[in-house]
Amino acid sequence: MQQMFQRQQKYVFYLLSLYTLGWGFTSYKTFFLSLILGTVISLFLSWNLARKVEKFGRAVAQGKKVRSIGTFSRLAAAVLAAAIAVEYPQYFSIIPVVIGLMTSYTVIIIDFLLCKNKQHP
Amino acid sequence: MNLIAAAIAVGLAALGAGIGNGLIVGRTVEGIARQPELRPTLQTTMFIGVALVEALPIIGVVISFIVMNR
Repeated sequence: MQQMFQRQQKYVFYLLSLYTLGWGFTSYKTFFLSLILGTVISLFLSWNLARKVEKFGRAVAQGKKVRSIGTFSRLAAAVLAAAIAVEYPQYFSIIPVVIGLMTSYTVIIIDFLLCKNKQHP
Repeated sequence: MNLIAAAIAVGLAALGAGIGNGLIVGRTVEGIARQPELRPTLQTTMFIGVALVEALPIIGVVISFIVMNR
């Protein structure tokens, strides 16, 4: 799982670098800044999810109890991104933030489909 | 009215996420308890499953936040 997660993080960082180039060299500054905000929070969401799943699997294998897998903290992080976008409308717009928030999930699904097709063509 | 709309949106999203996550986590625990050597595979499946389940509630929470602040 760690390999898969690192690969997905690499793809998200590629996207983030593209967004940064777009922010630096085009006139759509608000759009790309909002995408960067959403993608950074999305990176945190996927990192948090991978960490919690790893911890959960280890605890279950050792017969320990697990209190939560962190759904609430991830939802709170998404609300934080939306709150920043709503609070500073001169820098951010909300739709690209939502698109950015979905980036890592989209990357996870596409990577899963690609790997599945590679293993079972 | 906005508050009711936000509450319904976030409530239904959380309900769906709770049921979905519960099913995924329950089956993963069963699988790991039965065959601990399959833990990496099951963890990967759980990771992808939870990611799939949680994508929609996150959109729901953000939309409810926007509706609430309108």
